[in-house]
Amino acid sequence: MAEIRGSFGDQPHHILTADFGTPDLHKLSVYESRGGYTALRKALLDMAPTDITNEVKTSGLRGRGGAGFATGTKWSFINRDAPGPKYVVVNADESEPGTAKDRYILENCPHLVVEGILIAAYAVGANQAWVYIRGEYDEPHRMLTEAIAEARAKGYIGPKPFGKDYPLDIRLYRGHGAYICGEETALLESLEGKRAQPRSRPPFPAVKGAWGRPTLLNNVETLATVPAIINMGGAEYAKLGTPKNPGTRLLTVSGNVRKPGVYEVEIGKTFRHVIMELAGGPPEGRKVKVFWPGGSSAPVLPESMLDMTTDAEALAAAKSMGGSGGVIVMDDSHCIVKAAHRLLQFYAHESCGKCTPCRIGQDWAARTYERILANEGSQVELDILQRVSDGLQNGRCLCGLGDSGGWVIDSTLRHFREEYEDHALRHTCNVGKVVVNA
Amino acid sequence: MSNLSAHVLEEIKELPAKYPQPRSAVMPALDLAQEELGYLTPEAMTEVAEALQLDPGYVEGVATFYTLFHLEPIGKHRFYVCTNLSCMIRGAYEIVDHVKRQIGVERPDQVSADGLFSFEEVECLGACEYAPMMRLDHRYHYDLTPEKIDKLIAERKGNAAPPSPAATPPRQGGGPPQDAAPPSPAATPPRERGGPPRNAAPPSPAATPPRKRGEPPQIAAPPSPAATPPRKRGGPPRNAAPPSPAATPPRKRGGPARKKKADG
Repeated sequence: MAEIRGSFGDQPHHILTADFGTPDLHKLSVYESRGGYTALRKALLDMAPTDITNEVKTSGLRGRGGAGFATGTKWSFINRDAPGPKYVVVNADESEPGTAKDRYILENCPHLVVEGILIAAYAVGANQAWVYIRGEYDEPHRMLTEAIAEARAKGYIGPKPFGKDYPLDIRLYRGHGAYICGEETALLESLEGKRAQPRSRPPFPAVKGAWGRPTLLNNVETLATVPAIINMGGAEYAKLGTPKNPGTRLLTVSGNVRKPGVYEVEIGKTFRHVIMELAGGPPEGRKVKVFWPGGSSAPVLPESMLDMTTDAEALAAAKSMGGSGGVIVMDDSHCIVKAAHRLLQFYAHESCGKCTPCRIGQDWAARTYERILANEGSQVELDILQRVSDGLQNGRCLCGLGDSGGWVIDSTLRHFREEYEDHALRHTCNVGKVVVNA
Repeated sequence: MSNLSAHVLEEIKELPAKYPQPRSAVMPALDLAQEELGYLTPEAMTEVAEALQLDPGYVEGVATFYTLFHLEPIGKHRFYVCTNLSCMIRGAYEIVDHVKRQIGVERPDQVSADGLFSFEEVECLGACEYAPMMRLDHRYHYDLTPEKIDKLIAERKGNAAPPSPAATPPRQGGGPPQDAAPPSPAATPPRERGGPPRNAAPPSPAATPPRKRGEPPQIAAPPSPAATPPRKRGGPPRNAAPPSPAATPPRKRGGPARKKKADG
């Protein structure tokens, strides 16, 4: 494995990553020597399923995949007593640009995820879990496959884990390259062998999810946090972070920083701390120009907002979001119009084609950017961008992919209007370095 | 020779039973087909559809949705270079240009003259702390530089043929792109995914000719045992006896044969 870039080792605020860096942590024996699988044992033998769900509720844990929904509440939506099979589906289709945290967890400590999955399955009354892992993740897939085999050999996965008469099983399903599969209902479609196009809700997956059955869908990081919550107790976990957004989370810091990496941060710390201290700030002689606080879909924030805190409430107040925790930093040598163009190309490429505003709008925006960057722009193009951006947002599409493209346009226009006007009206770029993409 | 070999079809037919509903087998089945042929031909997709008792159009619809399914021949080694934002601002497009120059192709649908290499720009691969990065031969490669690219190319050429220091000078950008017609399916080198090179055994003379789309389905004649290529994935052959030609696979799960896709 490549050198670890990010958080590892025992520090006061390290919950997930405290043991990362331990040699061979991916092996069951080492994981157990660091206290692994004690949470599963406790959950199965000492706790009723509702106790587990309540503990997660008490912790205030919110989903780490992007939407930030309260995890315990989500678990309680599953009717544990409904007859017939129920499933846990794990979203390991990490593909939000600028986000690498799930890969980081899976490569460093796959058993953490396995343990979290098994606890969740027991809590919601499922016997089988499916991990939908993106097809490009060869190494994480291999690590997870080995971890599951080890847990199976130990009996933690099987008919009677820890002697408890409650069969548990985990299966893997590989994605095949489609960003939209990170959206939970599109993921379910894909898991069922279809083109991954989001479903309209209701019915919600908790009622009718994978293969038409009640399904709990959680992100890798969310589930990897569960063993710690069971071990330390929800109330103790809730002391970390902010009251409304407790705990720690993994932020992937990438782009123009000296020490890019996946950092475990207590929620509520400032982006200045994350970008300038943990990730070492921009290269010598450069200034932070702009950052995406939560993956490419999170509306951008300019340098002047570096003191923004990382909790969901503060970010929402600034018209952005914590999203997937992908902090992309761009310094003053890069052009915001070219960056936005690249992201619109991405959203146009990844639109699944189901909703017209997204299918047409993203492509329209991308081509408008092309004209602007070819010095063929005018006020008309700027107006088009604004109009398309509005048309993509506010629930006009079934899923967030539509909004995301709109947010990129809207937020970059809002904060960097002058740079757009340089390109569109004056046909010039006043940013030092020209990115090759134009 | 685009048809899938009997043992792959057998493997495909065993897939549906592994899932709560059989349709989930479509992507794993396409994986097996692509692994054998290097890319998905219309004939292969039709065969997958027959093996799974799905409509060929449905299977093609799935295959065209996902970027990891290739519908054109690709090089034995394909560079999937991330050019999304985090990699772009750390020089990904320079890396793409270098790859293109060194392997002598201009576009993702072209293959290098020796059949070894092709490339594709891809969206974020989720390893942003190592940008710029790419996926090559089922591995991630980090902190890319032109020198690292050169080394990776040289290593792979070394595996294919005796290394020669003068091998393939970099093509200059101005020249005509390597437009040598894409290799015929038969010439496509096997995709590597662990294990010895495939296609080593010459195709059996009795092998069914590629079926045109629309023609009635036909069950492939049983290959002569000698012509059956060795199983490449772990474990001994599952069923040594070649399947009977007439054997329509029994449906694994109850219910009538599926018709067209049930939903839109």
